[in-house]
Amino acid sequence: MKFDMDFIAHNNNLSLMNPYYKLIIAILIMLFSLIVNNLIIDIIVFILMGILITLVAKISFKSYLKFITIPFIFSAITCLYLIFFTGTGEIIFNTHFFGIVVTDKSLNLGINTFCRVFACFSCLGFLALTTPIAEILHCLRSCKVPKIFIEISLLMYNTIFIFLDQLDRMRNAQETRLGYFGTKSAYHSLASLFTNLFVKSLDKSEKLQCALDSRCYDGEIPIYKPSKVKKDA
Amino acid sequence: MLKAENIFYSYDDGTKALKGIDFQISQGEIVALVGKNGAGKSTLFLNFNGILRPDEGNIFVDGDMLKYDKKSLIKCRQKLGIVFQNPDDQIFAPTVEEDVAFGPLNLKLSQDETQKRVSEALKRVGMSGFEKKAPHNLSGGQKKRVAIAGILAMKPEIMILDEPTSGLDPVGVRKIIKLLKELNNEGMTILISTHDVDLVVEYADKVYVIVDGEIIGKGTPNEIFNNMEIIKKANLRLPLIAELFKKLEENGKITGLNNNYPLTVKEGYEKITEILK
Ligand SMILES: Nc1ncnc2c1ncn2[C@@H]1O[C@H](COP(=O)(O)OP(=O)(O)OP(=O)(O)O)[C@@H](O)[C@H]1O
Ligand SMILES: [Mg+2]
Repeated sequence: MKFDMDFIAHNNNLSLMNPYYKLIIAILIMLFSLIVNNLIIDIIVFILMGILITLVAKISFKSYLKFITIPFIFSAITCLYLIFFTGTGEIIFNTHFFGIVVTDKSLNLGINTFCRVFACFSCLGFLALTTPIAEILHCLRSCKVPKIFIEISLLMYNTIFIFLDQLDRMRNAQETRLGYFGTKSAYHSLASLFTNLFVKSLDKSEKLQCALDSRCYDGEIPIYKPSKVKKDA
Repeated sequence: MLKAENIFYSYDDGTKALKGIDFQISQGEIVALVGKNGAGKSTLFLNFNGILRPDEGNIFVDGDMLKYDKKSLIKCRQKLGIVFQNPDDQIFAPTVEEDVAFGPLNLKLSQDETQKRVSEALKRVGMSGFEKKAPHNLSGGQKKRVAIAGILAMKPEIMILDEPTSGLDPVGVRKIIKLLKELNNEGMTILISTHDVDLVVEYADKVYVIVDGEIIGKGTPNEIFNNMEIIKKANLRLPLIAELFKKLEENGKITGLNNNYPLTVKEGYEKITEILK
């Protein structure tokens, strides 16, 4: 099953909760952990958010895991870099390889950074996984976040899905024709995949502009706020 | 109502997509534009509402020549609603209802009126209950219907649909055709591009045939589909019913059709009962 963030955002125990609360919870806790800057607090925040996401919102642990793997890899790489290549102080581990050493300061910095990033990320994850994007944007709008920012996020959000879909389709097409059979053809296929993706994205943006214009778009996406909330049975 | 005079259009890469198109559609008609892939159908549609500007020639909407300033473009696009061939090009909002509401809100309608139109449009295309869904989670056919609803909600005078039935299941196709006929009865003028000759004969009042950027034939379905020359040139085929009668005639089972084959199931049925009598 493909990881479908949007589906999860619409179908969890907290998706009907007032989005403002969620936004406030996420931002406050994030700010708190940033300001306090304490390893223990970071870990507590991370665990708390994990509990909120998996136990309260009842989002499956697997989905959550999938959601955090990519940022995990990125921050892990960054922090390993911090640990091995920066910092001064007492040497606590020597690799005997090009003089690369781990010092107490660098180790500290690495671990701290990692935990902070993760504490913040889990707050964002809580927001992203429990709240549909449309609602988040509505909130931001009423918080007087500049329009241009919201419109760009809206269009980008949509484009990312089309982009991923496109990527998926092209990859399948290439694989069907044995495009990744052998190293050389794999490189070749990958190269053409990316060029094609780039060209297609440009083309897409042009077409989107046409479609928006056709519906009398005047440079500003209007806000749809139905007054009566009808509930479908 | 909508008229194009001697339209020429080439793309930036030099492709001459339209070469002197004359086109006219009157109030209350259902017109089909048929032609093979790459004939220039989508390009012509984009010329109609001023997204593309012809190199030569003029577009007239309600008798007014289309000028390309902002005001007259908006006016034109209020009257002409285009449903794009690929719904992914058209649908952009995070939820179905917001996408459908986009057009009406651009027309500066109130939130209440918009809401009314959104739920009506979704109902008419059979997508009620999908309001809060994210468009990218819909199937291809469902997206297509949402795209149609998005234009429907704007209540244009002329609705232009670029291959509205491709990718829909047979029942879905029937429903869309039925919907279009209903809209037509309510006074909407409709222009459809398609390859599906079996359907064209069912609903179209008038057919235009386009080949390589030129209109090579126009007329009623009967006029077009009894002219084998046009059919061949356009890479089309006869509707299956006509095909059947043609074969029967060639083998001498039926006589006296005078190159006037029944085109629809209904016409074929009548012909056969007449013969069997
Ligand atoms: N953006 C573009 N740039 C350059 N050439 C284009 C572009 N879009 C279309 N063409 C060319 O213009 C011609 C007409 O294309 P158009 O999309 O109008 O065809 P169509 O009749 O809609 O075909 P289909 O039935 O496949 O949708 C084709 O030869 C096509 O290759
Ligand atoms: Mg087309």
